[in-house]
Amino acid sequence: MDQETRNELLKLFKSKLNEAMRLYLETCTRCGVCTEACHVYASTGQVKHIAAYRAEIIRRLYKKYFKMRGKIWPSVGESKELTDIALEDLSEAAYSCTGCRRCMVYCPFGIDTQMLMSIAKLLLIGANAEPEILTMLADMSIEKGKSIELFKEGFQNGIKNLENEVVKKWKAEAGDTVIPVDVEGADLLYVALAGAHSIIPAAAIFNAAGENWALSFFEAVNFGAFVGDPAKTKLILERIINEALRLKVKEVCICECGTAFRVMKQISGSQPFKVTSITEVHNRYLREGRIKIDKSKFNEAITYHDPCQIARNAGVMDEPRYILKHLTDDFREMSPDPKYNWCCGGGGGLVALGEETLDFRMKSSQVKVDQVQKTGAKILATACENCHTQLSNLNDHYKMDVDVKFLSSMLADALVAN
Amino acid sequence: MQSLYYFILVPMVYIAFGIFVVGTIIRLIKIFKEPKHPSTLQIYPEKKTKWLGALYDTFLFPTVRKHKPVLWVFLLLFHMGLILLLIGHLELIWDLGIFQIIPHEPFLGKGLVGLVLTISLLFFLFRRFLSPVKELSVPEDYYLLILLFLIVLFGSQMDWARRWYEYGELAVEDYRAYLTSLIVFKPELPYNATFSGHSFMLILHVFFANIFLMFFPFSQSMHSFLSLPINKLRRG
Repeated sequence: MDQETRNELLKLFKSKLNEAMRLYLETCTRCGVCTEACHVYASTGQVKHIAAYRAEIIRRLYKKYFKMRGKIWPSVGESKELTDIALEDLSEAAYSCTGCRRCMVYCPFGIDTQMLMSIAKLLLIGANAEPEILTMLADMSIEKGKSIELFKEGFQNGIKNLENEVVKKWKAEAGDTVIPVDVEGADLLYVALAGAHSIIPAAAIFNAAGENWALSFFEAVNFGAFVGDPAKTKLILERIINEALRLKVKEVCICECGTAFRVMKQISGSQPFKVTSITEVHNRYLREGRIKIDKSKFNEAITYHDPCQIARNAGVMDEPRYILKHLTDDFREMSPDPKYNWCCGGGGGLVALGEETLDFRMKSSQVKVDQVQKTGAKILATACENCHTQLSNLNDHYKMDVDVKFLSSMLADALVAN
Repeated sequence: MQSLYYFILVPMVYIAFGIFVVGTIIRLIKIFKEPKHPSTLQIYPEKKTKWLGALYDTFLFPTVRKHKPVLWVFLLLFHMGLILLLIGHLELIWDLGIFQIIPHEPFLGKGLVGLVLTISLLFFLFRRFLSPVKELSVPEDYYLLILLFLIVLFGSQMDWARRWYEYGELAVEDYRAYLTSLIVFKPELPYNATFSGHSFMLILHVFFANIFLMFFPFSQSMHSFLSLPINKLRRG
């Protein structure tokens, strides 16, 4: 690596150094309490997957370039030079961490490994060494935001084709739009994923609850956050914020996508609308008696996988359990405390990288498989697209013999007339 | 030799304290003048008592208790012991009535605190020789533990000698005379401090303590100051 590139990368490193990041970089005592926290370590036993080890890969560069002792006495903290090999280490650390933040629950200080890995991800972008596909997907999202008029017609035609499916689940009143789009003054803007499974059940439930809603033009997923590019994350987010402001909605409801929800809820700043997850909205409809559910629809034991970015990292824990209470009498917890739930192994962009990471995802998630199987449940519900894909892959690979389902689609299937 | 003793017991102490105080302040300013993170970094479920929770996490390490109970026992003993020893050193300088609720000579615990600390430090050190903590550790972690072990061992030896072997040449009055003279910037070494049989204990204790103080602001020991704010981030 030439000096000019190194300087550019160090500039990027510096841009990440806020108060919290400095605290995370300065405080670790390498006590090893986080050892058993990471599902990758717990499944593979490889020391390089312990949170403190991952963090130290970043910290060694920090000590070298941002602390005086890196110059005076580099060996004391094993400071390390930023080289091409160091980039490879960063890549391995960052893209084997799903950002689930389970280690944060173990750490006596609460060091956020996901934050530290965001430095690694940004340096990889700077060195053009990030997974290209994530950047491409992020760029496509941004492009769509810039030229919405080009996409509008195709989108609206696509949506029309889904309406029959929605009506099969919930019969619309005559004259009602089944999937409203671009409605100024709607109460709720629903941001889905680019996939019928993310739109049909949600639309049926909104219609059943008599919600004044509209479907967003944009998909919720934020590839900018996966690849760790703050600028792109923001641009992707702004498309939705601008649409919500233009339509003057009171609430932006994010579909079953953990990253999209957490990014929208925690990064969008102070806005005239509130941000909710679809699980929270469904919980509200049930509590207010706006929808009714047939409990006999699912006869087998159900367990629920708490998506890390929705539960431990954004606080939606009671809501899915309330919904599940209406769906079954045989609900089985995976973990006595949702904040200790194992990650599915697919977060942090790993699922989005598809086949490329499949082998690693399977090997690193043995503990998740054991956890699910221990419940003896036949239906494995979850509320996140990534988790759903990863859990389905695990189901196939380990022949778990469970039915992996989206919570929202279970709810839509069990809708009955009020 | 006497001039070396003098250097360790007087100028080096001033230098060490100077580096410790200025270094720590500069390090803290550097961290806290950075902009805040724009979004929350907390872990859920959220509790209302955020500061109380952060204090609880900082001083009682509940996550360690849950996941590494044996380590937790030693950590708690070690950190409580450190506080008692700090109080003990203050008592060497001033009569602190508030701590005399249980009447005692300077240094609570009849020498046992030092012993517990010595054992805890050996536990921490030996832990680092074992995988996986071995792979996580960097030289700094060993240096600090060895330094602390030497400080506590030589320091405690002075206490033990007085209490357990009735060694009377170096008495509380001598330490008080020495420390008070340092504080009022009129350094003066009592004869016993450098000429008694146990002087080398004092000199080595102070020497290693000086090194530790000088290294403190630049090492992971800064967690003493950073633990509360960082724990607050997790509580929201």
